[in-house]
Amino acid sequence: MSSDVTLGSTTKSEWIKFHTVRSTVMGVIITFVLTIGLGVLITVAVRGHWTSMATGERLTFDPVSASLDGILFAQFAVGVIGTLFITSEYSSGSIRTTLVAVPNRLKLMAGKLIVLAASMLVVTEIVCFITFLIGQAIFSGVVPTASLSNGTVLRTVIFAGVYLTLLSILGFSLGLILRQSAACISVFTSLLLILPIIAFLLPQSWQHAFSKFEPSELGRAMTSVTGTSGDFSAWGALALLVTYVVVVLGVGTTMLKRRDA
Amino acid sequence: MIKVEHLSKRYKRTLAVDDLDFEVRPGVVTGFLGPNGSGKSTTMRIILGLDHPTKGRATVKGKRYEELRDPMHEVGALLDAKAIHPGRTARNHLRALAASNRITVARVDEVLEFAGIASVADKRVGDFSLGMSQRLGIAGALLGDPEVLLFDEPVNGLDPEGIRWIREFFRSLANEGRTVFVSSHLMSEIAVSADQIIVIGRGKFITQGSIDTLTATAKGTVFVRAANHPLLLASLRSKGGVISEVNDEGLSVSELTSDQIGQIAFDAGIALFELTPQRASLEEVFMDLTADAVEYGSSGVRHEQ
Repeated sequence: MSSDVTLGSTTKSEWIKFHTVRSTVMGVIITFVLTIGLGVLITVAVRGHWTSMATGERLTFDPVSASLDGILFAQFAVGVIGTLFITSEYSSGSIRTTLVAVPNRLKLMAGKLIVLAASMLVVTEIVCFITFLIGQAIFSGVVPTASLSNGTVLRTVIFAGVYLTLLSILGFSLGLILRQSAACISVFTSLLLILPIIAFLLPQSWQHAFSKFEPSELGRAMTSVTGTSGDFSAWGALALLVTYVVVVLGVGTTMLKRRDA
Repeated sequence: MIKVEHLSKRYKRTLAVDDLDFEVRPGVVTGFLGPNGSGKSTTMRIILGLDHPTKGRATVKGKRYEELRDPMHEVGALLDAKAIHPGRTARNHLRALAASNRITVARVDEVLEFAGIASVADKRVGDFSLGMSQRLGIAGALLGDPEVLLFDEPVNGLDPEGIRWIREFFRSLANEGRTVFVSSHLMSEIAVSADQIIVIGRGKFITQGSIDTLTATAKGTVFVRAANHPLLLASLRSKGGVISEVNDEGLSVSELTSDQIGQIAFDAGIALFELTPQRASLEEVFMDLTADAVEYGSSGVRHEQ
């Protein structure tokens, strides 16, 4: 049975919607500024203090994750991009126009997901590679540098982009469930910022066992070349974060399908 | 054709739509009339597959909305003109809609032109007046050149020129054999554009028919001017008359014919100066019809606790 509304046409429609609003454009600019800007600040600071750093610190220094530290701030920008992609439809009421044009809600969700995942992956990978290269150039001559010819380094930089993309999908999934921009951004921020504070209040012996499951810690594990003992491996962290996102997205999709629009 | 069969919709504790059952035929403009909050929008949302019915079903051309193969070619709808992302331009909004149903960009320009908003196509929708948004909503509904059209309160916010334009537009759509279903909470507005009217109140079906049949069934009033208003008033009341209005000019009486009133005045020895039967106005017909619905409504509530 052929229909005029295919996954392709839905995706094309969502792509037009995605890039024709200011919030997406601003979100992408902020992602660039935060990741690259903070990357430059941090690497310049490390270079300046390198000679005064303790030997132990210097031995475990990870030039890859140090240059990519800006993603800890950029993760909020990408989360907001993902969230607004769906919640703005609810706040403006345009979700109804959208669903009258594309009544198959699974198809609509899939179209949005493809647009968000593909465009955020492109954006965040470009950002992470630029940040990494600038960071290594700043380190060069003083601080030990990493090279993309090393497979682990390459994977780590790629994973930094993958981490940000997954977080934007997490923001989107929360948006499907909560429908309200403000509520959604609060929950998203809490997951990344408040959860670590709660972990900090736990008895010392539990802290690490709990905190390594936090999304932000998974991100750290994904973007660290050296890795800390007891942490998840980069691949393990990726698998767990993907699982989180799939679960939240699954709940969100079920709710999109069941609820009145 | 739109068919609504024993449709009910409950939101938590309120029954927004209560066993509605009607058909909307092609080739005529069908008005969907009811006071605010009577369930018109809910019914339209269910027809469009946005809300899930609690009971019963609504179909367009024999199918539930979700089952339509080419939704925008089959149905065009304008629900809430302001329900568009305010940051997007009118053209981009329509381009995105068109792309989802594989409608060409040329058609986007066509509907922009038709709706009279081509000159503001590249302005952000957030800056649009309600009237311009209505025109944009109409342009969106027409994108797929659909056979069935639904408009929820389309006249809101339009200027007199826009209102005339939209009435002629509904008429021409119906003349082309399309199904046109237009809601309103104002009888006077719908009377000029609709051939058929479906009236609902508190989610329940009240009546259906042409304007003429509806006004014919409604009760009229009789205007009376007499020598002794207080005495006449008492006499009319004792014979079952209902006085709807009293002022210096005279009395408006319902439930009695002018013949009966003349006889009562004569028996009471009151001189009549004026006795004029008045046909119910459209708004009065509507008020009359929906006042009944309020009574049904409250008994319905008791029924369900």
